[in-house]
Amino acid sequence: MNINFLAAVMILALTGAFLPVINRVFRISGILGAIISSIGYVVSLFLVIISDQGRSILNSFFVTDDVSRLIGGMVLVASWMTMLVIYWITEKDKFVNELIGALMISTAGALLLISAENFVSLIIAMELMTMPTYLMVLFAFDDTSLEAGVKYFFNGALAVGFMLFGISLLYGMTGSFEFAALAKNLFKDPLVALAAVFIFAGFGFKLTAFPFHFWGPDVYDGTCPGVAALLTGISKSAAFIGLMRVIYEAIPVISKEFTLILAVIAAVTMTVGNLLALAQKRVSRILAFSSVAHAGYTLVAFAALSVPVSVTGILYHSVAYVFMKTAAFLCFAVFLFIWGARTMDDYKGLGRREPLLAALFLIFLLSLAGVPPMAGFISKVFVFTAAVDAGMTWLALIGLLNSAFSVAYYIWIAKQMYLEEPTLDKPINDSPKKNFVLIPLAVMAVLLIVLGIWLTPVLNASAVYAAKVGF
Amino acid sequence: MVLLSMILLPVLVAPFAWLGERLHKDLPKYLSLAVGAFLALCTAYLLVKYPGNGNGFAFHEFYRIYPPFDFNLHLAVDGISLVLIAITAFLAITVTLSSWHVERPGAFFFLVLIFLGPMVGVFASLNLLWFFIFWEFTLVPMFFHIGIWGAENRIYAAMKFFIYTHLASVFLLLGIIVLYLSTGTFEFEKLVGVHLSPEIAKLVWILMFIGFAVKMPVVPFHTWLPDAHVQAPSPISVFLAGLLLKMGAYGLLRWELFLFPQTSKFFAPLMAFIAVLTIFYAGFRALAEDHIKRMVAYSSINHMGFVLLGLASLTAAGISAAIYEMVGHALIISLLFMIAGYIHHKTHTWYISELGGLMKKIPGLMTMFVIGVLAAVGLPGTAGFVGELTVMLAAFDYYGWIMIIVPLASALGAGFFMWMLQRAVFGPLREGFENLKSLKELPLVENVPLAMYIAAFILVGVIPAVVFNLYNPVVNTFAQLFK
Repeated sequence: MNINFLAAVMILALTGAFLPVINRVFRISGILGAIISSIGYVVSLFLVIISDQGRSILNSFFVTDDVSRLIGGMVLVASWMTMLVIYWITEKDKFVNELIGALMISTAGALLLISAENFVSLIIAMELMTMPTYLMVLFAFDDTSLEAGVKYFFNGALAVGFMLFGISLLYGMTGSFEFAALAKNLFKDPLVALAAVFIFAGFGFKLTAFPFHFWGPDVYDGTCPGVAALLTGISKSAAFIGLMRVIYEAIPVISKEFTLILAVIAAVTMTVGNLLALAQKRVSRILAFSSVAHAGYTLVAFAALSVPVSVTGILYHSVAYVFMKTAAFLCFAVFLFIWGARTMDDYKGLGRREPLLAALFLIFLLSLAGVPPMAGFISKVFVFTAAVDAGMTWLALIGLLNSAFSVAYYIWIAKQMYLEEPTLDKPINDSPKKNFVLIPLAVMAVLLIVLGIWLTPVLNASAVYAAKVGF
Repeated sequence: MVLLSMILLPVLVAPFAWLGERLHKDLPKYLSLAVGAFLALCTAYLLVKYPGNGNGFAFHEFYRIYPPFDFNLHLAVDGISLVLIAITAFLAITVTLSSWHVERPGAFFFLVLIFLGPMVGVFASLNLLWFFIFWEFTLVPMFFHIGIWGAENRIYAAMKFFIYTHLASVFLLLGIIVLYLSTGTFEFEKLVGVHLSPEIAKLVWILMFIGFAVKMPVVPFHTWLPDAHVQAPSPISVFLAGLLLKMGAYGLLRWELFLFPQTSKFFAPLMAFIAVLTIFYAGFRALAEDHIKRMVAYSSINHMGFVLLGLASLTAAGISAAIYEMVGHALIISLLFMIAGYIHHKTHTWYISELGGLMKKIPGLMTMFVIGVLAAVGLPGTAGFVGELTVMLAAFDYYGWIMIIVPLASALGAGFFMWMLQRAVFGPLREGFENLKSLKELPLVENVPLAMYIAAFILVGVIPAVVFNLYNPVVNTFAQLFK
């Protein structure tokens, strides 16, 4: 790992850790808190960008390559924007600084996770990312969030348990946790396959892939939507990258055997996610099930692991996903805060009430649906190109059909916002500073459109990574 | 820069139209008109500068986006795209004039403008992925146009339109992906004459054909169109019939017939069968239709059947005729949709059986309607005559006497239109219409676009060479591939 990258992680984590302390001592207001944490984000973003210069440390634990710099930057931006929105919608809550602190520490964990190249550091990073979110899910302190928190905690613990078991099997065979050493020493063996199954299962929980997806929608729906934005957007994107490193760097010998299993899981995950999303009435649950479906699309790229385009597919989808899903949930959060809008019926006519916010939400929904020129479209092109290239045209067809059917519920939300008469008359929280919250969302919308046309950064990073893992 | 500015300028002006409504209610429509004029000027420039021999593409513009993946914005036009871009510019102006008194003009013209830019992009893009990007994006403004300004059942129609056509695009996208993986390029000029194994070529052909056939639309992929047309406001029906359907035929011609001549030859009988089926099915449906706009919609499908038939002949004459039919269809059907919309607006009914004797009350509008109907059934001297005649000649030439059934269908078309005229326009005035206050002639500004359509289709009907000469050299060059 590069020392600048480590510094970025440390600064982020320390800002997060000391924010509540500063608040208790100095009683900082919302704006001051946002400024302090923004400074933390900006400094660590800067350090991530320049992180290829400087001394290396902790070499067998973490790696700073193009992927960790690219995804790290994207995750930081998404998390920063999430922080701004959360401050805006929970400004008066006395625990908001604790929440933001936990968000920053969790993001630091995500940064470590995307650069982990050792199973020990992978588990540490993953837990650093997850532990603060256990707390955050409970933040609303009501019954539903309590239920969500318990579900989330037990599923998370189970996931880590599975992964540790798989890792211990690998360690028993090779005596090493390092990805590179494992790749060199592992051979095709039923025990290795068993270990891989357990590791995949652990990631399956994190990614809400079928059949480990049941907790996802309940938790995303039960907690406050700002936290759900972190869980479905940022954490999941980081977990995609973690799984990518495991598959390509640690267990390449055995992972090709899993192609068909991954393909079937991908097909079932997206179908289940989309079908259940179609049946939902609450917007947060629609977004939650669409997040399950998107895990399926990414798994299509994982299933196509015999071709280099799969790397591009995974990376592009993670980049697009971190913005569109986070931002979609944040839009939901803002609508919930201002109008108390939860269900599809509440969304009627909101396009007229909040023209700009609704327009931004529309951009994120269209991107999730894969309509050009948003990044969600080009990422799907790469994902399904990978599947066709790997000789799985059937999987690409299932995925594309799923993607087309998913348009039904995304466009349904758009329909409610723009084509129906309003049902909600009065906002429950009308703030005169309403337009400030549009800025972070607009930043993400612009990034989505830019990344939908300017492919160079992601494609270069994926080309470098594909070369590194030997394509 | 000309082509790029034709794509970008409408999109960039669009937000000003939206926000401009707050400054002044009339600002959006003037902006839209200005953009229409800009598009027309650019088209005029392109037409003047276009090298007459027309052998291939001119006005190349190349913008590097990501060369290793062949994802570059490559714009250029040949005679075929030039004709369709000219129609885009023409319809931009006429639709703006027809929507002069629309409600919520800011949002309406915002959507019109962000529709026009990608529309030019569809016809000017020589990169298949960019073609698809422009192609897909046109759905979004169309969805809102139908859903917000449409008739009673607008939301159903808008949802059906979006989901149905997006689903079709999925097949097109899959075809594009397979094609890219087999050839490694999205560029039209690199793809021409590229060699694919027959199985792959057939797979790509079928996948892409589904996407184009739904957009055209041809039977049995047409069911979204009558709903969309009936519910859409009339100016948007003009966009649908005049531009959106043309995208399908253009895509089929540019990205299938020209790229895979041998595979197209293999599938030509299938195309011809679908075309004849479309012509007959839509003709009979129109005959049975009491709803005046739905009738025009089915007659529109009927005409697209002629376009497909011309393309299916795979001869220079047939393809030229099909393109000509596209031009004629765009102009004639637009007029009919506009007037059908006005009839509903004035009489508050869509049903032919509830109309009668309109000629007595609004002779000016009805005269234009009769002219439009006569053009649609193929009156000599209008674009309709030249289009259908040339398509039929080409089809006879290629498929022989079996095509004798097509003129029968043409007679069917004349039948349903004449019957409609007799019931709705002529004859005794229907009770209750004498005192109907709304039943009066149009204000001048709304007559202008109607007169423009009539002038245009008579012009290209009397002097077909103005259109044919533009693209005949290109078509002749490509038709060599089918030999």
